[in-house]
Amino acid sequence: MTRAWPPAALLLAAVMTAAGVATPGGGSIRFVEVGANAGARVRHHTRVFKGEHGDVLGMFTSGGSAVAVGDYDNDGLDDLFVTDSDEGTSCHLLHNDGRFHFTDVTARAGVGGGNDGRSIVADAIWFDYDNDGWRDLLVARFGTPILYRNNGDGTFTDVTSRSGLDAFANTIAAIAFDYDNDGRLDLLFGNYFKPVNLFDLRDPHVLPTNLDNAANGGGVTLWRNLGDGRFEDVTAKAGLSGHTGWTLDVGHADLNNDGFQDVYVASDYGTDRLFINNGDGTFRDVTERAIGFDTKKGMNVDVADYDNDGWLDVYVTNITDEYMRECNMLWHNNGDGTFTDVARETGTCETLWGWAAKFGDFDNDRWPDLFVANGLRSAGPENYIPIVLEMIVRPGVDFSDVSSWPAIGNRTWSGYQRKKLFRNVGGHAFREVGAAAGVDNDRDGRGVGLADFDNDGRLDWFQTNANQPSLLYRNVTAGAGHWIELTLIGTKSNRDAIGARVTVETATGKLIREVNGGNGYASQSSLRVHVGLGRDTVVRSVRIRWPSGIVDTVAAPIDRMTTVREGEGR
Amino acid sequence: MTRLVLASLGVIALWPAASAQTPAILDHDPLARLEAALTADPDNLRAGNDYRIAIVRAAQYDRALAFFAALVAGHPGAANAHMNYAFAYVDKIPAAGAITRVILANNALNEFSRALELRPTWLGYYARGNSYLFWPRIFNRTRLGIADLEEAMRVQRADQKHAYHVRTFIALGDGYWKVSEVVKAKAMWREGLKEFPGNAPLRARLAATGKQLAAIIGETYDPERRVDTNLDELWTK
Repeated sequence: MTRAWPPAALLLAAVMTAAGVATPGGGSIRFVEVGANAGARVRHHTRVFKGEHGDVLGMFTSGGSAVAVGDYDNDGLDDLFVTDSDEGTSCHLLHNDGRFHFTDVTARAGVGGGNDGRSIVADAIWFDYDNDGWRDLLVARFGTPILYRNNGDGTFTDVTSRSGLDAFANTIAAIAFDYDNDGRLDLLFGNYFKPVNLFDLRDPHVLPTNLDNAANGGGVTLWRNLGDGRFEDVTAKAGLSGHTGWTLDVGHADLNNDGFQDVYVASDYGTDRLFINNGDGTFRDVTERAIGFDTKKGMNVDVADYDNDGWLDVYVTNITDEYMRECNMLWHNNGDGTFTDVARETGTCETLWGWAAKFGDFDNDRWPDLFVANGLRSAGPENYIPIVLEMIVRPGVDFSDVSSWPAIGNRTWSGYQRKKLFRNVGGHAFREVGAAAGVDNDRDGRGVGLADFDNDGRLDWFQTNANQPSLLYRNVTAGAGHWIELTLIGTKSNRDAIGARVTVETATGKLIREVNGGNGYASQSSLRVHVGLGRDTVVRSVRIRWPSGIVDTVAAPIDRMTTVREGEGR
Repeated sequence: MTRLVLASLGVIALWPAASAQTPAILDHDPLARLEAALTADPDNLRAGNDYRIAIVRAAQYDRALAFFAALVAGHPGAANAHMNYAFAYVDKIPAAGAITRVILANNALNEFSRALELRPTWLGYYARGNSYLFWPRIFNRTRLGIADLEEAMRVQRADQKHAYHVRTFIALGDGYWKVSEVVKAKAMWREGLKEFPGNAPLRARLAATGKQLAAIIGETYDPERRVDTNLDELWTK
């Protein structure tokens, strides 16, 4: 699947690249790290395993540092839920007080738990599962999940036991979306290991059988929301049980513009998978035709129309270190059921050991930019790679056996890596501006939650780091373009409007955005729709196609936030 | 050294290969025909080369690896069988995932080494030395590659000049460049250009500096790209 690049487009990209990275107002993208002053510095602790295999198991479960952005108290400001993972540690609910100040309200809210002797917190998402107008909280674990119902008064109630979400899985990723458009949010879990209890290993053969084509992972689990507070496992019925890979992330979007949400699964140690929604409660696996099979180490799924052509594209991080130059994948949606990887051509191929990557228009110039977190393990001066190489090339070695893997001790493995911020240059190329923008930290990044935390029209983000403190980046870009932000409220559709498609038309052209329920590794971004408008000062129309099928056309004044209820437009 | 030179020439003397008499059933499977020829003459470098070329065209890499594994098991002293076995591993690398590539590359090195133990040749030193240059710096194998390529250079300097000898000048210069011995690298490339005037890869390297030169060498040793292991050049007059 090769893509013919129009010469005119290449020329345009070259000219724009040469012209530099100026924002619509002549400035440049710039962030300031404000976590400590904002009261939003949270240190993560990876799980420490006991026993002879503890070191290796700790290495294979070194995620768990996640963030979920959501306005849980409906005060118009996005709050933060930040996970921790070691036994006995608490997760954190940080209330956004405004003006970049947060208060830890975990104790009062009652949502700090989950890291017990049999479970590791790995991810979290906000979603209003009961459509009561208050966002609830799902905490995904290596173990069983926890579902907290939002009481609407700053407190939460653990309703897991009556939710039916009782299946043990080593879940590392979770998203909420309405796969059958019935107005209720369903859950898709990405599971890393098979459902084995890592704290009580009866059989040490729990690791991938093959490091490029493993199919002995945990696959995915699809939970259908029954509408009465209960969920039902419909993985097999929906056609998703054929995927048995080492899922690291799952993402959803309407990739073929048919009004139904499709699913992209990023897998470690083997091929990613693309499932198209048939519109009847089932999915079909189109991997071979749409993207082809791969052997890479997929870590992240984020979706955006990076070239503003009206079709949503997909970005997947892999491992691109010198010793494993896999190249990331930027799947350009060809609009015919196929995708072409243009990571190399667009300059988004190399981000070292990638984790979460998020599209966001950080300078409001209409073009979605891309921030990529990276770095596995920053520790002592000795490097783990030459040691693990000896194991990898040993004849007859059984990779699945925990005992085969050498202990990592205090060694570094793909650590101290500089984060990458790619500025989108006209939809055909990206220019890396991480250092200039002030975001090229070298922490062991994991999740990235985007939001306009101070409601100033510029996207900020919260970055989680494994076994390290988090970072909060405030966007101080000068000369950013105009913008609109939309809070969508479903009435017939799910209340959070997850899956709603927004088409914004200005004099320059059309832009599409979609509300997603947690795309991106270990991180959920704001449910609010942010649209950069560049120099355009008038929005001709905002068209919203809700998951119910209702279409609203509404007005949205520039440089303002607008709330839209389903069915209230033209 | 004389033994090495003779061995280098001996590579060519091993041809012609397979006998024309094969069972009719083999006519339906060209690869089986080539395998039969090679089984009859395991140490025949050219027959092995022809077989591998056919394998690459058919993308039947695992078939070749299984065949050569059996061949060297049955003929452990056949140096050229080990040599072709090594190249068969190299042939599969672009079709494999990133970690499998490491395993294949390491297996290739082991087979090159076995071939060299049995019969030290220019080809063996050049091929193993060149293979080491593909390994990322973190594995510290570039110096091993340089040592092999210096040995290949000693062999070819004692031999009559062959067109394929230009490869050693290129690779050895690249090895020096990879360990930041830029002056030695340029001297090697210059010497090569004197010996082989007009050689495009050498001219490109000598004309480039900085990032441009890094890009040329990076592209040369990109594991994503198929390495041309066709040895036909050895038999070109």
